[in-house]
This record gives sequence, structure tokens and C-alpha cells, in this order.
Amino acid sequence: MTETLPSSLPLAESTPAPALPADARRRSHTFPPEVVAQIQRMADEGHYEIRGWGAKRHLPTFDDLVFLTASVSRYPLEGYREKCETKTVLGTRYASKPIELDIPITIAGMSFGALSASAKAALGRAASAVGTSTTTGDGGMTEEERAASKLLVYQCLPSRYGFNPKHLRMADAIEVVIGQGAKPGGGGMLLGQKVSQRVADMRTLPPGIDQRSASRHPDWVGPDDLRIKIEELREATGWEKPVYVKLGATRVANDVKLAVAAGADVVVVDGMQGGTGATQDVFIEHAGIPTLAAVRLAAEALREIDMADQVQLIVSGGIRNGADAAKALALGATAVSMGVGPLIALGCNSRTYLQDGVEHDATADYRALGTEPGYCHHMHTGMCPVGISTQDPRLEARLDPEWGTRRVINYLKSVTMELTTLARACGKSNVHNLEPEDLVALTIEAAAMAGVPLAGTNWVPGSSDCR
Amino acid sequence: MCGIVGLHLKNPELYPRLGELLASMLDCMTSRGPDSAGLALYGDDADHQPRMEIFKDVGLPREICERYGVAKRSGYQGIGHTRMATESAVTTEHSHPFAPAENMALVHNGSFSNHASVRRRLESDGIRFVTDNDSEVAARYIAHQVGHGADLGDALRMVLKEMDGFFTLLVTTATQFAVMRDSFACKPAVIAETTDYVAMASEYHALASLPGIGSATVFEPAPEEVYTWTR
Ligand code: SF4
Repeated sequence: MTETLPSSLPLAESTPAPALPADARRRSHTFPPEVVAQIQRMADEGHYEIRGWGAKRHLPTFDDLVFLTASVSRYPLEGYREKCETKTVLGTRYASKPIELDIPITIAGMSFGALSASAKAALGRAASAVGTSTTTGDGGMTEEERAASKLLVYQCLPSRYGFNPKHLRMADAIEVVIGQGAKPGGGGMLLGQKVSQRVADMRTLPPGIDQRSASRHPDWVGPDDLRIKIEELREATGWEKPVYVKLGATRVANDVKLAVAAGADVVVVDGMQGGTGATQDVFIEHAGIPTLAAVRLAAEALREIDMADQVQLIVSGGIRNGADAAKALALGATAVSMGVGPLIALGCNSRTYLQDGVEHDATADYRALGTEPGYCHHMHTGMCPVGISTQDPRLEARLDPEWGTRRVINYLKSVTMELTTLARACGKSNVHNLEPEDLVALTIEAAAMAGVPLAGTNWVPGSSDCR
Repeated sequence: MCGIVGLHLKNPELYPRLGELLASMLDCMTSRGPDSAGLALYGDDADHQPRMEIFKDVGLPREICERYGVAKRSGYQGIGHTRMATESAVTTEHSHPFAPAENMALVHNGSFSNHASVRRRLESDGIRFVTDNDSEVAARYIAHQVGHGADLGDALRMVLKEMDGFFTLLVTTATQFAVMRDSFACKPAVIAETTDYVAMASEYHALASLPGIGSATVFEPAPEEVYTWTR
């Protein structure tokens, strides 16, 4: 099937709308104006909507949990005098060189192609400055990001675009991507506007043509053959580097156990709030489970097979701040990974951008995409108003890499400070000592998903034990 | 929110007075823990084998000591605890000392902040718990390490790595008497040593009437330091 991007038809001159009759206020629950607009768009264009970013609908989130911090029965730690450890080690199961991070917050895989080379380099520099890792994406490793990143995780994706043994050996860890929270069961997508000559060369594909990555790995399907693939990756790298397996959160309990059975050192679970550079909107909003539910299932699965001490769990998908990170850690994650958050720190959805030391207003460029600063999800167009998700040199110049790096460093530091603030208040001298018993839920849904009691009760919906 | 006391006698002439001395030390700790109290007393049996006995119950320390005739008991070392319950119930089972292995006893003052996770790990290793008390987790953790060949000092040092929160621990085995505080050393502890005994308590006044206390070396145990005395 060949698809075209939405073309904007010129609108007929509109006449001013007359005052609304009473019936017009009877909003349909099934067909509200947004749905009417969607149906009309489909009728106009003949295909699904493609967009970037993550789920926008309302979902149960970490916001529905709160901490039971210390008081009389437990004692808090002093914020400025007493240390709260954040060091995190990933890949202790088989790798001879596990990844040692200063903070349990990593930068998720985002491709060069989806992002500009300077955006990738800025993320790498910021991650290195705060002692954490960053991750390549579909399409391979760029020299800039390798040079900028002290710790770089190299993704092995179904597309194989840009995947080669040389870069494999240059990486610090390898992430076999089976799925992504934004589109579990779907492959990557890079629309022609973003396939510049350099992107095309790295992927050995023609420039300017829409690229669709496979949704399945071509050389293995299922855990039995994944085991062989992982062994092959280990052999190619002398059993030095940790092998992560990244899953889009769906049948989490089974998938985590199978990833471990196949030999993963680290399991990465990406909930449905996870972002993407481009995919079908229907995928983003209707596939996978929320991160809140995924983390508990994954942690439980590791405990059930008695691997929680050996295999580390990274959780991603809509992690925004230290509270999210603290809650994910309490529910059993070893680390969290963030994508959209660091992009926002870099300037995504900002009304202005800094070019040659001067602040410029980008509102008109957002409007040209049919959006506003604060609402943009137009990575797929390659027309990023602030120069982050683009391959157009004119737009790329809008991201001042040093300015962006500083902002991402500030963001990662702030998230870490928020995390340790909560951990100290819970009486922990190490963020990894946060535990589910430190949390209660504000809604029945969140209580059931996270497996913690509803606040003010000892009721854990769906569980036979009370606490 | 508890008081702990311990006495390790070096001079056998004091053995007949073990119960009497400990009972009065424990009584001094009533205000720190009026809910329940308990003691572990170590003596030699008829075959000269060490034997540990635990007496614990709900109520005031003085009543419990009277109920079990503690003052008349002899032995070479003992530990005691007065409890003000924090997160778990006031019952005899929840009272200290915890005896996680033969001839091992533990009393704890403080509050662990990651005991639920440590408990889950121990349970997955097949360790069974009797209560939901955080101190039982420390006791079983130490017994587990000792059961795997660690000596008591090493097992206590592993507690510093594995367990978070605030704690002063006093742990005894048939031959050893060990004290350790966490890195914050917020929960009080004082040790007095003479040629006749080593005594430990949450507050000094529990030691004040011990014989020869005037010439004892009295000190506050340092944070993260394991102090052990061996018979
Ligand atoms: S501002 Fe740029 S990076 Fe952010 S959503 Fe829009 S296109 Fe994507």
C-alpha cells in the first residue's frame, strides 16, 4: 500500500457562524467533535494518522500513587547532610563489564534520523556529564554521539539499519529491541522528509523515500531463537557487554520471563506512554498497557523466577520527574529511562529557540504544522520548529547544542534531586531501597495495577492479602 | 522506641547474679518500652553445655521479670528488651529477643526502612517468619549469613550493607556478645567494660547501679563499628 502524507486542501472562505441553537450543545459521547474531525480526516485522506510523541489520552499513572514518608515509626534522612546513594549497576548477570551509572536515570533510544545529529550529541554530552548512559536508535550509531557519550547503548533492531560489528564493539552495552511502548508489535517509521542523504547512507536505502522498519527480527522469532541471537552478540563482543532486551509492555509477565530465559542481563519494559518519532496514532493510543501496571508485572515476574537479584529492570514510558522515578524504583525497577522528557529539556515544544545567541519566536512554525507550542507531536514531519527532530539544516541550526546540553544536564540533575528527596523522606540512604510498601494509591485502578493498598485502607484490589 | 540492655560476665563469681543484675537494668528501661519485654539468658547446663532460655511477654518489665523469676536465675550472659511497638502488633511473638537460630538472640532499637524487601529475598531463599516485625528480619538475615558460614561480626557488617534505616543491635550467640549501630548512630547506646563484665544499655542509668561501675571504661559505640566480646 502506498501512502501519502496529509495534504492540506485550501479551505473555502468561511462565513461567520450564527449563534448556536440549543441542540448544538448536546455533545455526543460516542461521536464528539474530535471524533467527527477524525472521521472527516480519514474520509479526506484515505489512511490512518501518523504522528510522533506518546499516548495523549488519560491513563492511570504514577501520579495516582503517593509515598508514605517517615514520621514517628520511621525516621527520615537529612537532605543536605546525609547521603542518599544513587549509584546503579546494570548487567551483572553475565557481562564481564557491567554498566556503572551515577544515577538510575538513563536516556532512552532515539534514532539519528528521528533526531538531528546535534540533538543526539547534546543528549550524549548531557548524559555523560551526569554519569549516565544514552542509547542509539534505528539507523545506527553516529560518530558524534559515540564521541559525546561516555556510556552508549547500541540498539539491535528488526530493521538492521546501520547495524554492524564495528559499532557493536564500540558500544558499552547492547539492547535487543523487540518492541516499544508506543507501538508494541509494530516496526519503526521514518517518513521521506527526514531521510536525508546521510540518514539514507547509514541505512543503505534511497534518500527521500518513506522507510518502514520490520516489526519482527528477520533472523529470529520467539525466545528459543532469541537465545541464539544473544549468544551471537555476546560472542561478537567477548562476553564483555551487558545485553538488554527491550519490550513494549503487553504480556509483560510472560515476556520478561522469556527474555530472561533467552539470556538477557537487563530487561527494559516500555509502557504505553512511551514516545516515538512516528507511528500510527491508533497504535500509540490503543496498544500496550500503562507503565504503572507494567513495572509491577515485570518486577513480580523477576521475583517469581528468582532472578530479581541477577537481572536488572529498566522501566520507561512517560517518566517525567523524580516522583515518577522514585515510584518506578519502589515498585521494583533498577533504573528508569526517559526520552520525551530530555527532548522537552532540549527545547521541544518550547515557544522560542536560541540561535546565534538571540531568542526567536517559533509560534508561527508550530502553527504552520497545525499546532501550538506545548501541544506539538509533529516529529514525523521533520519540520521541528526548534530543530530537534529534523534533518533540515536550516531548522537544525535552531538547536544550540551547548545551550541544549546545559538544559538537559539541569533537567537530569533536578530529577535526581527530586528522587533523593523522596527517598530520604522515606528513610532510605540508597534510592534502591525504596519498596512497594512505601506507596499507597489514590485510585482503585492504580491500587490494582501497582499492587499497593488504596490510601487509608489495607485493601489491595485483586489480591488476597491486605497490608 | 525501645530499650535494650545486655550483660556479658567475664568473672564467674558474678554468674549467680546475672538475672538480678539484668532485671534491674531492664526495669530502668521501662519508659522506653512499656508494651512488652523479654530476656535471653545464657548459662551452662548440667553437662557444661551452653544453654539459652528466652522469657518474653506482654506487660511491664518488672511484672515479666517477677512472673518468670528472672532475678533468681544465674548464667554467663544475657540480653533484654523493652518494647514500644511501632508498626507491628503488641504480642508475645512480636516481642524481643528474637531467636532465629539455636543459641542466637537479637534485640534491636530503631526502625529498618527496607525490611519488606529483605524479607521477600529471605523468603525466596526458603526462610520462614513468625511475625511481621522488622527486627525479626534482621535476626533471620544474620542467622542466615551465619548459617552460611559467616562469623557474627561479618554477618553484622553485611547488615550495614543490606539493611537501611536506624538501628542499634545487640546480638548474642553461645560464645559471643556483639553490638553494632548504623551509620547515623541516632539510636542511643552506651557500653561499660570492667575486668568483670561488659554491659550495654540504651541509656546510662541502666548501668549506674552495676558493681564497680565507677571504675568502668564507659563509651558510646561508634557508628558502623562492630564490637564483639567472646567467652
Ligand atoms: S517541537 Fe519538535 S521535537 Fe517537539 S514534538 Fe514538535 S516536532 Fe517533535
